[in-house]
Amino acid sequence: MIPGRLTKELARICGRDHVIVDRDRLLVYESDALTAYRHRPGAVVLPRTTEEVRRTVQAVVRHGLPIVPRGAGTGLSGGAVALNGAVVIGTARMNRILAIDAPNRRAVLQPGVINAELSAAAAVHGLYYAPDPSSQTACTIGGNVAENSGGPHCLKYGVTSRYVTGLTVVLADGSVVKVGGHGREAPGYDLVGLFVGSEGCFGIATEIEVGLLPVPEGVRTLLGIFDRIEDSGRAVSDIISAGLLPAAMEIIDGPTIRAVEDSVFAAGYPTDAEAALVIEFDGLEAGLDHEAERATRFCFRAGAREVRSARDEEERLALWKGRKKAFGAMGRIAPDLLVQDATVPRTTLPAILKGISEIGNRYNLIVANVFHAGDGNLHPNILFDRRDLDELERVEHASKEIMQLCVDAGGTITGEHGVGLDKKHHMPLIYGPDELDTMWGIRRVFDPGAVMNPGKVLPEETEPSPANPRREPAPGELVGAPAPA
Amino acid sequence: MSAAADSLAHAVKEQEEGLLNCVHCGFCLPACPTYRRLGDEADSPRGRLHLMRAVVEGRLDPGAEAFQTHIGRCLGCRACEPVCPSGVEYGNLLELARHVGGEARRPSLVTRLLLRVFGTEWLARPAMFAGRAARATGIPALVTRLLAGSAPPRGPRLGLAMLAASGPMRGLHAAPAGSGSPRPGARVRATVGLLTGCVQAGLFSRVNQATARVLEANGYQVVPVEAQGCCGALHAHAGDLEAARAMARRNVEAFEAAGVDYLAMNASGCGAAMAEYGSLLSHDPAMRDRAAAIAGRVRDVSELLAACGPVRGSAVRMKVTWDAPCHLVHAQRVSGPPQAVLDAVPELDVLPLAGATECCGGAGIYGLTHPHLGGWIGGDKVRSVLESGADILVTGNPGCMMQIGAGLRLAGSEVPVLHLVELLDESYRRAGFYAGGTDHGNGSRP
Amino acid sequence: MNKEALTPESTAETREIVLAAREAGSRLLPAGRRTWPRAGGWTRDGGTPVSTSQLDTVHHYEPADLTLTAGAGIGLDRLARIVGPNRQWLPFDAPGSSAGTLGAAVASGTSGPLRTRYGATRDNVLGLEVVTGDGRTLRIGGRVVKNVAGYDLVRLFTGSRGSLGIITRVSVRLFPIPEADETLLFSGGPAEAVSMARTVCTSEVPVAAAELVEGEEVGADRAMVLAVRLLGGPREVEESRRRICAALGTDPWRALHDGESRRFHAARIGWEEGASVVARLAALPDRIDAALAAARACATRANGAQGSAAITADALQGLVRVRASLPDSDSTRLAETLATARRETEALGGSLTLSHAPPEVAARVGWTGSGPETAALTDRIKALFDPDSVLAPRCP
Repeated sequence: MIPGRLTKELARICGRDHVIVDRDRLLVYESDALTAYRHRPGAVVLPRTTEEVRRTVQAVVRHGLPIVPRGAGTGLSGGAVALNGAVVIGTARMNRILAIDAPNRRAVLQPGVINAELSAAAAVHGLYYAPDPSSQTACTIGGNVAENSGGPHCLKYGVTSRYVTGLTVVLADGSVVKVGGHGREAPGYDLVGLFVGSEGCFGIATEIEVGLLPVPEGVRTLLGIFDRIEDSGRAVSDIISAGLLPAAMEIIDGPTIRAVEDSVFAAGYPTDAEAALVIEFDGLEAGLDHEAERATRFCFRAGAREVRSARDEEERLALWKGRKKAFGAMGRIAPDLLVQDATVPRTTLPAILKGISEIGNRYNLIVANVFHAGDGNLHPNILFDRRDLDELERVEHASKEIMQLCVDAGGTITGEHGVGLDKKHHMPLIYGPDELDTMWGIRRVFDPGAVMNPGKVLPEETEPSPANPRREPAPGELVGAPAPA
Repeated sequence: MSAAADSLAHAVKEQEEGLLNCVHCGFCLPACPTYRRLGDEADSPRGRLHLMRAVVEGRLDPGAEAFQTHIGRCLGCRACEPVCPSGVEYGNLLELARHVGGEARRPSLVTRLLLRVFGTEWLARPAMFAGRAARATGIPALVTRLLAGSAPPRGPRLGLAMLAASGPMRGLHAAPAGSGSPRPGARVRATVGLLTGCVQAGLFSRVNQATARVLEANGYQVVPVEAQGCCGALHAHAGDLEAARAMARRNVEAFEAAGVDYLAMNASGCGAAMAEYGSLLSHDPAMRDRAAAIAGRVRDVSELLAACGPVRGSAVRMKVTWDAPCHLVHAQRVSGPPQAVLDAVPELDVLPLAGATECCGGAGIYGLTHPHLGGWIGGDKVRSVLESGADILVTGNPGCMMQIGAGLRLAGSEVPVLHLVELLDESYRRAGFYAGGTDHGNGSRP
Repeated sequence: MNKEALTPESTAETREIVLAAREAGSRLLPAGRRTWPRAGGWTRDGGTPVSTSQLDTVHHYEPADLTLTAGAGIGLDRLARIVGPNRQWLPFDAPGSSAGTLGAAVASGTSGPLRTRYGATRDNVLGLEVVTGDGRTLRIGGRVVKNVAGYDLVRLFTGSRGSLGIITRVSVRLFPIPEADETLLFSGGPAEAVSMARTVCTSEVPVAAAELVEGEEVGADRAMVLAVRLLGGPREVEESRRRICAALGTDPWRALHDGESRRFHAARIGWEEGASVVARLAALPDRIDAALAAARACATRANGAQGSAAITADALQGLVRVRASLPDSDSTRLAETLATARRETEALGGSLTLSHAPPEVAARVGWTGSGPETAALTDRIKALFDPDSVLAPRCP
């Protein structure tokens, strides 16, 4: 609970209806889409303007409480969970598209605008917003900025940070800073790029300027069915090596296919297949058929049993259905689901998949894989029931081993979901003390008082403090940070 | 755990598919009209499911303000169901939650009163009669016109406006009826029993008559079903499950006795409820299978018509726009058939309606129990209707007709609201399909 | 700038150099092959150059992964020869970079006309190893194309121009070389060229780059030439050409295919070479006519002072560049001219930055425009990595 004086102050700033302090109501904010972590916030505030955010931040900080920014709460890393009675600043009411500047292919938005709705609004100008996280019908652009979200089509088009050109940010000290801006060159430190993906630890973006792209004229979608998952991996490598650049390449494995086909979302994938590969090309109509034909040949050459292709939007959605509904389908066969998000070099995929399956077998767990094959971003889903304590423990071990396996292959612990609360203790797997120390330092540059989303991204035990001082390197000291590069 | 929570826990156990399936992904948030306007996750489907789960887990008392307010504030439009990747059956869970909430704390006087009226024939008849009589005086329409454009529609003003809006469209039958051409579809395709309903029978008898005429014009034989009553939808939505089950039993028996192939629905709220009689009566071993069988024969009138074409009538040169009732498009997932019906009216200009699948705020008795939020949501619907440029709004549910009609009138607009079958009926009348056949009459005059 | 450069042969040696300099209180000037010594200008106040040119090992290259990790000192030309046989390339086409090193391209962080198609330099840097000004070796990012673990220090270092650390190793994303590469040259008067550029930039055809070039540079007899580059499959490129010609209502004055097209653009990378002043005028793409006018006025005044000046523009980005070489004597006049151009561009909501300029001009005009509100932040960032200012001064 927050002090009554603060409640009154927040109500004056944002309106009484937009300050939530009732303990029961606050229950619904205790987690994001990763329900393993539950912490009830001290309060939730729903401001509508940059000025309201600024005054809210000032008021909360003055009362010595931490702040957690929250978009639609669709994140999968516990990033929007409020630890220690923090005050949540929700952006749900900051949902206006401030401008769509079609000639310059850009838009200016409030952070609460939903990703897919930006594309819908831009569509009348023949434009769209390229990053398309799987939750795009619900997640907000502000959340995308915080997490540097990807999506199936970032294989060709890149992730969020490529499209964010300017930001208005409220910092912990209550200052409002504008960085970047389309049509201006800001040489020097890329503060926009640094802010994107900072998971709410640097401040709250209250205005976001993004670049838009012309809607591709044509799309071709293929679905390759494989008897062996390695073959689908080879098809992916061959397609890339041949110089084709599909907009998306997604694989779902045998256990996932069977989960989907057993559910109400049955998409007509053969249940005895071990992999389904969705490939999509987009661009000018001319040439798309040629590319699709080449990709089809690569699939067959790699051992595909069958390759389906979509002729129209309806067929296209049907081919995608198994991929898009995979999470929901798995939600129906097990009460709990642990989704990982490691990225590995594409060529190591076959070995990694084999390794994951071995780990699953060893711990007697079902691990179903859905992944962005084009860029090596894996989403192994471990299915379990949290009420089974023994199983819970096995899940933890298996999860850690899978993560280590991916890191050892030259990969990273998170490709698009973010570190949040969930993966902060895995950060030392990929970064040494100097790197973590530097990240703490960068965080303090923006937020010296440690009030913005504390407890996320960086493990506490690595925080420099009088007891744990910042390491001073000495001449002659050996170089040896354990690292992927 | 309180007895009420226990009963929800019990219900949830049975609905395990339902609650546990929610993986908290949040995909439902943007589909929810209350979340979109209020921005509070407690007013989103995910938030409400979370509150239900908290009750089951014993972390929340169902009598608590939070549970009562947010479960109560749900429109029950079920727009969250089609977008749910896990297939959570939200509508069912909501009814259970309201049941538990109602046991923990008595519903408001307005709610209880309205439900009592609809659910009790000897109360409903005089009430509907009084409504019709009041409507016939023209006073509601007059008062509505006088009050148009002032504060947001709510309270008694909304009630009067809804009553005024339930009347038939003026000048609907102004065009001369065609003559001579025989009614097509003489071959009996199937027998149907029409749910005459409580509100329809009371205030929309003309829609019932039109329904019967267009079905017969398309080869269905409409069989009278005696002893039928209110479908119980409003009671179930409000959590009065016992009352709803009693009504369901009565209707199952009545339609069984009539022995019809299909049950025709012209109120999508009723259709959605009757299509779920199987799960409503799943506790009742004697009725379970019979209820499921009857539920399996429930069809919206647009589905029956679309299944056979439908037959095309004469030109109706009007600019209309279609608003999809929630219980048709979300609950019953019927979206194509109404379009097929509109296509059967030659030269009809069908304009797109922004947010056509979003709730109008009527939501059964919502407009009366939550006048402020209902008025806000309804106001947005009215605005998009006016922006569509249509001269007539067409929809498929009496509640929506009254809610949107009231909103339009209070906004000072003359745009009338028609039921889908009224439009097709007019097209058939102009074509002369009814010239030699049975005339079911033109319904009551205002 | 004539000082003998230190050329460490390993990351560890680089670090020893930094720690020693820090202890001695001396200054270092991070560099690559030193072919572009004034890159960005901010390296102006000297110190001992530290060239990473000896750090040119390819540490990791798996063609099917489309990623490469190499020492920062690898030349972009050599890198192209290594990945070319696999029909891959690193589409970095920032000014001057073909002669330079990978590390320098990343440190300068500038992007060229291919940015719209392939993303900016910073979008294609996956990971870095750096030795910071206080002597830490940091390995940030990784070598996978999607990575959101921790704060994005890779982006912070890309474009930091040697002010935070010395880049010793770089992982980048590669791309397949498109099957067809075609450049269409359309010539016309100044206004006509701008109007053609606008048509191309707002059309549905996915052009890879669109540049405005002065006619005489490419031997055209009209004042300006619009160079439209098309990359992709042969059918796609052919269709794009057809539609662009239809939209412009004319056939190109010249069309360059494959090798010709590539050579044309490779040559344009060196456009700034030898100039004593280069100014970049950025504006929204639909205000490019106004930015061009400001740039042209600037060039005319420089020419009036017996110098030679030229302009070019990236129409997709809304970026105009002015290049001038002129006698040192006229720096006052030049500074005034640049200041005027800056006022005009800022009035458009854009910016003018200098990438090359004699010190006295830079001192008068300032490398960048009106003070950013982020000075406090950037000071703290600089202090975090290079507290004793061993390296180049902080970026503005």
